[in-house]
Amino acid sequence: MASLNAAEITVAQRLILDRQVAAHLGKPGAVLAILEALQQSDPHNYLPKSLILATARALRLPLAQMMSVVSFYSFFNQTPQGDHTVTICRGTACHTRGSRILLDTLRGTLDFAEQASAATEPTVLTTKDNKVTLRTVACFGQCAMAPVVDVDHTISGQMNRQKVLAAVEKLLR
Amino acid sequence: MSLSVLDAINAVKAKGLAKLRPDRLRIAVGLGTCGAGNAAHEVLHALTEELSNKGVEARVTTVGCFGSCAEEPLVNITVPDKPMLILNKVRPQDAAEIVEALAYGKLPVRRALCKVESWDHITSTVDYGQGLEDVPHWHAIQFFNGQKKIVLRNCGLINPEDIEEYMAVGGYATYYQVLKNMTPELVIEQIKLAKLRGRGGAGFPTGNKWEILKNAKGDQKYIICNADEGDPGAYMNRNEIESDPHALLEGMMIGAYAMGATEAVVYIRAEYPLAVLRLRRALDEARSYGLLGTEILGTSTRLNIDLVEGAGAFVCGEETALIASLEGRAGRPRLRPPFPAQKGLWGKPTSINNVETWYNVVPIIAKGAEWFTQIGTKTCTGTKVFSLVGKVKNTGLVEMPQGTPLKKIIYDIGGGTGSSKKVKAVQTGGPSGGCIPAELFDSAVDYESLAAVGAIMGSGGMVVMDEDNCMVDVARFFVEFTHSESCGKCVPCRVGLDHALRLLRLVTDGTATIDDLAMLEELAGFIKDTALCGLGQTAPNPVLTTLKYFRDEYLEHIQQQRCAATVCEKLFVSPCENSCPIHLNIPGYLALVNAGRMEDAGTLIFLDNPLPASTGRVCQHPCESRCRRREIDQAVAIRDMHRFVVDTVFAQTSSEALARRLAEGRFKPTGHSIAVVGAGPAGLTTAFYLTLLGHKVKVYERQAAAGGMLRYALPEYRLPKAALDREIALIEDIGVEFAFNQTLGKDLALADLTSAHDAVVLAIGTWKEVALGIPGSDLPGVISAVHFLKDVALNQRADIGRKVIVIGGGNSAIDSARTAKRLGAEVTVVYRRGRSDMPAIVEEREAAEAEGVTFRFLAVPRRIIGSEGGGVGGTIRKLEVNIARLGEFDTFGRRIPESTDEMASIDCDTIIVAAGEKVDGDVVRKLNLQLGRNDKVAVDRLTLASNLDKVYAVGDVITGPANVVTAMGYGKQAAGIIDKQLTGRDRLGELRLEFNYPVVVPAEPMGGDRHVMQHLPATERHENFSEVTLGLNDADALAESSRCLRCDVKASPEAPVPLIVSAQPHNGHPHNGQEVRR
Repeated sequence: MASLNAAEITVAQRLILDRQVAAHLGKPGAVLAILEALQQSDPHNYLPKSLILATARALRLPLAQMMSVVSFYSFFNQTPQGDHTVTICRGTACHTRGSRILLDTLRGTLDFAEQASAATEPTVLTTKDNKVTLRTVACFGQCAMAPVVDVDHTISGQMNRQKVLAAVEKLLR
Repeated sequence: MSLSVLDAINAVKAKGLAKLRPDRLRIAVGLGTCGAGNAAHEVLHALTEELSNKGVEARVTTVGCFGSCAEEPLVNITVPDKPMLILNKVRPQDAAEIVEALAYGKLPVRRALCKVESWDHITSTVDYGQGLEDVPHWHAIQFFNGQKKIVLRNCGLINPEDIEEYMAVGGYATYYQVLKNMTPELVIEQIKLAKLRGRGGAGFPTGNKWEILKNAKGDQKYIICNADEGDPGAYMNRNEIESDPHALLEGMMIGAYAMGATEAVVYIRAEYPLAVLRLRRALDEARSYGLLGTEILGTSTRLNIDLVEGAGAFVCGEETALIASLEGRAGRPRLRPPFPAQKGLWGKPTSINNVETWYNVVPIIAKGAEWFTQIGTKTCTGTKVFSLVGKVKNTGLVEMPQGTPLKKIIYDIGGGTGSSKKVKAVQTGGPSGGCIPAELFDSAVDYESLAAVGAIMGSGGMVVMDEDNCMVDVARFFVEFTHSESCGKCVPCRVGLDHALRLLRLVTDGTATIDDLAMLEELAGFIKDTALCGLGQTAPNPVLTTLKYFRDEYLEHIQQQRCAATVCEKLFVSPCENSCPIHLNIPGYLALVNAGRMEDAGTLIFLDNPLPASTGRVCQHPCESRCRRREIDQAVAIRDMHRFVVDTVFAQTSSEALARRLAEGRFKPTGHSIAVVGAGPAGLTTAFYLTLLGHKVKVYERQAAAGGMLRYALPEYRLPKAALDREIALIEDIGVEFAFNQTLGKDLALADLTSAHDAVVLAIGTWKEVALGIPGSDLPGVISAVHFLKDVALNQRADIGRKVIVIGGGNSAIDSARTAKRLGAEVTVVYRRGRSDMPAIVEEREAAEAEGVTFRFLAVPRRIIGSEGGGVGGTIRKLEVNIARLGEFDTFGRRIPESTDEMASIDCDTIIVAAGEKVDGDVVRKLNLQLGRNDKVAVDRLTLASNLDKVYAVGDVITGPANVVTAMGYGKQAAGIIDKQLTGRDRLGELRLEFNYPVVVPAEPMGGDRHVMQHLPATERHENFSEVTLGLNDADALAESSRCLRCDVKASPEAPVPLIVSAQPHNGHPHNGQEVRR
């Protein structure tokens, strides 16, 4: 259980945690807000186990409940994310305009740590070199520009296979 | 309430108005997420820079989104006393020109999409000014015509980050009036009288919901705004909040007052960062203006509104799951009752309403319930905002009165698909909704009408689908979604959806059975009836509606392993191949041409297509409309390329040598014999493949030569007889036997054929012209296109006058017109619909125009007038037509021609009727065959067998007039079926030879623009029948072959392929050597 020792969180993490707890405690949605802020403050955009345990203790919530929240919402990551994130929108409008081809293309192209399977959606896959994380999202609400792909928080519309490959190649360079 | 509060409100309002209508130029850039995604930030920056460079004084600001996403980025320009201009598709490089004009005191009217003279913000009206006659009013634009902006009243017009602009248009005045003059009971009564219903989809009466919370016992009550807009394909809430966040807050404030709540929460999706940001700012502003907190506007009212960001769980749109999420737990729903109004957030009474419901509150209170009920239908009042997306030309947010017919939204507002493709269906209501087929587009869009067709209103997503969308795939897509979003609490949803998805995957993989389909249907009904919450109960809707309206597509996947829409990847080689009725391996021959292996390319083509010189010239090329290269520039010139290959091969090799090569793969004789009646494309194709499969085939033909319509209907200038003769010689050389001048029912008896052969294939086509049925049709001088074209084919001449009218809009009309023109006549084509509705190949119509054929569109023939008053024996003088105009859309998006009172007459001495062909009933009716409509021979769709033993039918005689390659497709299919019937084995696929060619995908598009064939100049086409198209040259053909994107090479996790291969040989990457054998 060494990895779950609350003492393992850094001073900086402790500071953020305390500040977030003070700001949200007792309010509706407090748990989500605190976890979202903690994850965003992590350089690899994830929630290490130690941080989850520390949060549970700070909020006086059972670890089981905290883990159930972290694993339930697709927003929370329990593994470090790549330096770059490519998110393919799998909303209906994007799907009707061919986003599955874009997803399959990248899943078949990049060298992921885990075995990619066509059967798993939503997708969160990170390359072996930790450079790129490929994700899917239910809908960005950018349906008029479908299909859309978000590369490091910049959304591009009217994508096709060639454009998405070129964008990824640029990240890997 | 003190006077000072009102004074303060008015002071803020005045400040806001000074910003909205300043005494100088105002430039506002639309910066919703969709604007930002279209470089609106860069436009804003460029405009600011230009203004300062040129020293033009202006108030530059940002606004939200005006709704027409297809026109982004939008820029509003206002100068005092002039209408506001809305410029569309503004690029950063346009800034200079725009500011230049403004610097000289001119308005950039030519760049404007529309103008707004006066805007009804519902809570007030803003008058900008009159004038600028050349610019259309905003509501005259197709996309806005008929829209009623109540919810979107401020969107795209005010700065969403400035409370002063919101108050300038009457914002928070309603809240002030409510606090000052209305009791909570009165507010609820107005909402009830307005018959407002929940805009989240289910349509529960909002007034009742509010009353329940108001009457609930409890020291603390909560109201919640559900902004967890998770429906993929719906984004109206995002835009509403991004563009006008204060209107949401004001609605909630009034609701909180009416229901007695002092705590409120907005639960919003984290995927909408801009909406979150703007709402946060609006909350801060409202707090600092004393609109939130305690003693609001000088009263004892208090209210706090918190904002909570969701964390990516669709099920949290369900109210009990949303509450669980707010309480810090996983968002799993629970059974109701107790309802949230009794036991909600932290056990306290809670009322949850959708974003758009809150947006309707202020207008109802400000204008009164009676005003609101006049909009929409009796039971569904007001408007609904839809996100119109998918395969539709004008995408965007559309706000329409409830009860508007679907076809108005999709065709009038949306403009149809904007391509040559037809709309197939619209999906409403997201994963809980259903797919409505185009035939039902007369349906009104309101809660009850949509439910009646099996769909739901839902949050208002409207995803348009066309022929390229597979409905089985759509069902699978939604079940994949709900399956992955299922919280896992109840068995029907967790296990049922998993199994349903497994069954759907079997269908899309082509491995399902009919029993699987029955199981899927039963399972879907079971999940619907037994799941715990709304997510599970509605998840089967996409399956059930597609099964109801598109069962044929499921059957096609199961029985024929075909996905006609070219979506289910396991069922096709490439989009082009899949759309080709004879499944020509297009990427294959292009790769061979690219590798310089012309002879192999030729052999590949001949094995897939026995009439390639003909199809290479006259095919309607459905393949090109599916070519993915179109997404980049233009389709690969697939048809011209296969013509190039066969012309080259024919020029180099004798047909005997070619036949020897093809015959190498011929199967040994089976001893079976088959009769084919009719030597048109369908019959020749059947005969070709059955011969290669080792059977003895005899083709009986009524005419003196083979080719059917190819020979007797297609003019020499499109398809030279010499080219046709070569390929027919090849078919003869591989061993097909012909008997000419044999007419069925005269020289041949069907019974004799069935007793002499093991199978008989009827391929007798459609050789009868559909009668025109107007007075004067039987006058001499009125001839049918079929007869006319055949006459010319046989004799190079026909008996026509100098002034010829051709009636019709199909290919045979254009062929007749161009032929008559070549015979020296003056030709007019009369067609009852508009130019874009003409079914003829576009290039053919354009060629006819270039050659000087006149077209009269929207002219409905009424009467043919002869020289002696129309009596028998006279010659014809003129055609009288009724001028039509384009009326309403039919459910398929074609405008129905509506006759007007106006008549016109066109002089003529000959009329060629090309109103369509049909099966010659005199022939088929004597054969004891079961017939369908228009005397078409009825066959089983899967086996092509007629009701008579051993008798099959293919081509036009079963489909009605269709194009060459479609007829050939049936011929090929029949050969496979008959062979299997006779030998018990599926051998057609084994006929293919194996070619090795590279399986690599170019990393970037190669080959440049589409290469175009040389044409004979129009001036050199008079009075001769020389071929018009001259074919591609060698260099262009080679370049064209490299334009193929190689969709046949598929990358997927199951079959990884080296996808990125260097396109430039000079940078040292070795060419990937992996090849595939097929």
